Amino acid sequence: MSKASDAILLVDDDAAVRHALKFSLEMEGFDVRLYPTPEALLAEHDLPADGCLVIDYRMPDIDGLELVERLRSRGVTLPVFLISGRVTRSLRARASSLGIEDVLEKPLSDLAASIRPVLDARP
Amino acid sequence: MSDTSIALALEAAEARLRSILQTVPDAMIIIDERGRIESLSTTAERLFGYDADEACGRNVSLLMPSPYREQHDAYIERYLKTGERRIIGIGRIVVGQRKDGTTFPMHLTVGELRTGERHHFTGFIRDLTDQQLTEDRLKELQSEVTHMSRFTALGEMASTLAHEINQPLTAISNYLRGSRRLLERMEGENVEMLRDAVSKAADQALRAGQIIRRLREFVARGESERRIESLPKLIEDASTLALVGAREHGIAVTFRLDPAADLVLADRIQIQQVLVNLMRNAIDVMSEGGAVRRLDIATATGLEDQVEVTVADTGSGLAPEVARQLFQPFVTTKRKGMGLGLSICRTIVEAHGGKIWVNSPPEGGTIFHFTLRAAAHDRENEDG
Repeated sequence: MSKASDAILLVDDDAAVRHALKFSLEMEGFDVRLYPTPEALLAEHDLPADGCLVIDYRMPDIDGLELVERLRSRGVTLPVFLISGRVTRSLRARASSLGIEDVLEKPLSDLAASIRPVLDARP
Repeated sequence: MSDTSIALALEAAEARLRSILQTVPDAMIIIDERGRIESLSTTAERLFGYDADEACGRNVSLLMPSPYREQHDAYIERYLKTGERRIIGIGRIVVGQRKDGTTFPMHLTVGELRTGERHHFTGFIRDLTDQQLTEDRLKELQSEVTHMSRFTALGEMASTLAHEINQPLTAISNYLRGSRRLLERMEGENVEMLRDAVSKAADQALRAGQIIRRLREFVARGESERRIESLPKLIEDASTLALVGAREHGIAVTFRLDPAADLVLADRIQIQQVLVNLMRNAIDVMSEGGAVRRLDIATATGLEDQVEVTVADTGSGLAPEVARQLFQPFVTTKRKGMGLGLSICRTIVEAHGGKIWVNSPPEGGTIFHFTLRAAAHDRENEDG
């Protein structure tokens, strides 16, 4: 079962999207931390050992894929869900080459259902 | 025939050729099978800025910019070996280079002369710099690109709209989802009705999302057609169109094409549109001022199956805050235009599985980069 301590780290540059996702995921029992920019997440020193990342693809300075690349190069192995208003096959292909769990298209009616099995599978 | 009459006949023939070369209104150049210039018409001397004395005996590649300069000998060799005609008898718009280093679009027709064992080639050149002529010759190519631009602009708007609407829809549908969860834990006489209403509202948010998706798919479908294309050829065609008028603004153009960056998987018209857009932007920026005006177009092989194209100018460069949002729709530094050009470029490049970005080096100017997938590794045709 997902533990209450499973933190979901969410990066999206749209404030309304960020807060709405936090609200719905918290109602599902997850602990959610928000980051308005990729830089804010990269500046985070206290990354949890468990949990997952939810990252928006299209952001102004560093896009979601680049952010995942940077995190991987720092040894961050948390599972990643990429969210995007538009999911193309090439985006999926690039995401899977970075070991991203799944690419989910907005408006994301049930994000928790995608996340939960991945978190449950972890020891 | 006696030796004397042969000599006389030869002399007469030479005199005729000289008089033709002096009077023919077209620029005309005769080269031998090793590419060396044997003679050129007076018009050709004027057009390229070389005297016959200066030019004769030198390789005709003198009259073309890189990368054709380096490749011309190989073109002749290939033709002599295979007999495959790529320009002889066909005629094409190519780029010429004058003695002063400036380049210009020209229409080239090549004919072949065989005397015994030896081949000679005659080139007829029409200068397309003249606006009227240029317009005629390029109209076809231009209208193709314009049509595609409109089509892509429409797609771009639909795609932008979809993105912009998807954000609030995401917020709506997730607030509703959270609310439903919350309501499941509540009791009271109105809770059941509220749950029902919230569920129905969430369904409607999803429905709006589906409509947006269908609209986008409808516009995105259509004329994108990806094939294996030669990147140098795409660049050549696009520059022919884009460089019209570059010389009037005193802009020197250089090409540095990596032979290894050859075949790419691309929609010809769309990638030409990206190239034309970037080159025209560079020309526009440099026309505004600056002592050094140089447009540099380069290719290189990148990581894995990617090739990278760069279009660099020596203009005033970009402020970081402009660079950051340059590819977003409706952002423009120009007085004219809707600010869709670079946003369209991004859509096209990303749909090709590539990336586009810009940087302004400290020494000035702006460099646009974009990547395409090399054809040998990936023939997947997409996207939704």
